Amino acid sequence: MVEVDGNEVPEGLYYSKDFAWIKIEGTKVRMGITDYAQKSLREIVYAELPDAGTGVKQNEPYGTVESVKAVSDLVAAIGGNIEEVNQEVKSKPELLNEDPYGKGWLLIVNPANLQEELPSLMDFAQAVEWHKSQGK
Amino acid sequence: MPRRIVIIGANAAGVEAASAARKKDRTAEITLINQEKTAGYSRCGLPFVVGGQIPNFKDLIVYPQAYFQMLKLNLKTETKATAINTKGKTVTTIDKTGVTETLQYDSLILATGADAFMPPIKGREKQGILSLRTIEDGEKIAQAVKDGAKSAVIMGAGLIGLETAVALIEKGLKVTVVEMLPQILPQMLDADTAKQVQEHLQGKGMNILTGKAVEEFLGDEKVTAITAGGEKIEADLFLSAFGVRANTKLAADAGIPLGETRAIKTNSRMETDVKDVYAVGDCAESPNIITHRPTCAQLGTIAVRQGKVAGTNAAGDYAQFTGVLASAVTLLFDMEAGVTGLTETAAGRARIEVVAGAISSKTAADYYPTAKPIRVKLVVEKESQRIFGAQIIGGKEVTQRVNAMSFAIQKQMTVRELAKADTAYAPPLNETWEPMVQAAEMVLMKLR
Repeated sequence: MVEVDGNEVPEGLYYSKDFAWIKIEGTKVRMGITDYAQKSLREIVYAELPDAGTGVKQNEPYGTVESVKAVSDLVAAIGGNIEEVNQEVKSKPELLNEDPYGKGWLLIVNPANLQEELPSLMDFAQAVEWHKSQGK
Repeated sequence: MPRRIVIIGANAAGVEAASAARKKDRTAEITLINQEKTAGYSRCGLPFVVGGQIPNFKDLIVYPQAYFQMLKLNLKTETKATAINTKGKTVTTIDKTGVTETLQYDSLILATGADAFMPPIKGREKQGILSLRTIEDGEKIAQAVKDGAKSAVIMGAGLIGLETAVALIEKGLKVTVVEMLPQILPQMLDADTAKQVQEHLQGKGMNILTGKAVEEFLGDEKVTAITAGGEKIEADLFLSAFGVRANTKLAADAGIPLGETRAIKTNSRMETDVKDVYAVGDCAESPNIITHRPTCAQLGTIAVRQGKVAGTNAAGDYAQFTGVLASAVTLLFDMEAGVTGLTETAAGRARIEVVAGAISSKTAADYYPTAKPIRVKLVVEKESQRIFGAQIIGGKEVTQRVNAMSFAIQKQMTVRELAKADTAYAPPLNETWEPMVQAAEMVLMKLR
């Protein structure tokens, strides 16, 4: 893991420019928001998440997170069917601030087109460069 | 069709307005127009980068790129709004490449800020007179220090002037502050409080000349000295800190009325006299909570509170701004100085009859080794015995006392109630008799 301007960027994940990360776990994909995203929003007090069994499309919003001062769409990094939603985050949205890459995960998706969609995401090295280019 | 909200200015007030608008309207098209390259940064932090407490100017960025993107805020940097048409509801802009654009709005928020003010002093067209309003200004000062400036003249003993003077002394410069009025911090403190702050600053090596106006800038092309009170003062660095003036040209040209402070006139929803046009921050005036007269105090805390109100209203919801007490604090070397509400001077100007009392105490039990001095001055209206103002200076714990007095004033607390207030104490943390309570007792005695 490296830190860019105080924002954590772990290895082994893929990143979107909408501040999402994914982790490939066998045939499934785990999705969440980055450390940079949670730090920009600050204390998150509400997460609106879809139900398992529904679908998400790449680059389209599937939910929202709201902090004291801000509100942001959650944009899917990969499309597919939602297998599981992190229910704990709904009742404890602060997990997004405390552990965005761990306990603050949001969805487990059964990807529809992973091989086609993956190249549009950034790998670790690209994500580090991109975080640097964000200026802070 | 989504609501179109255009915000001119993207710092404290502008970004706060945009965030509040987004919270109320998830689909609105929100556009921020920012003249500077960097948006969403803290101007108030600039002196502390000059002083070296904060390593880089970019550390002052409060809202990074990601924030604007996540909230779907369309930020146009290095873009200047050149005209507003309030009938057609458009704003014309020009970017740094010269491309002009006309933006349609349903709601417009003016957060155009303020500019450093330069009085008509002889020689003011000469080069090398710096100010401290933007990151670029800050970088110029930092560069001058790096280039070996050994001495500085600061013109103006307001908050920015003194905070920068402290920063430059900490960087090893010999600093002279010139103030036209007979005291430092004239907008903020009464003369008795200001005198104690001045003595502290002089004790740290700051040369302060009060009651002396800058008469001329000397030098061929570049300023090398000033004259003030007939005296010639040479220096390597000259900082103009005469104060700032609300940036109202764009509004005035569009026929948006200004108020009696020469800032943009607003109502309690931060709406100007023109429908669907709001004004917030350093360019806008709002009533003082006590006097109900318009004020333009130009503080960051006011900017964000006004911004939130305007953003909420611009997005079709309802919010009211409750007014200004102009609560402010500063750290000068190891002394904190703060104010809320009216000073005796301001009360006098408003024809309000007040009684003031000040006590000197400690921030911990007198016998406790880390106890620092603290002085609390209360300004109380004679007739109602209500607290109208407080000035607090001390080694620490000033800010939250200023806040407590601000709350007390807003809740219309009387000095009699304050004198009986329940407070907290432990030897390392406070005196048994809280200094604010002691000051209240002093005023009560004077009211007898």
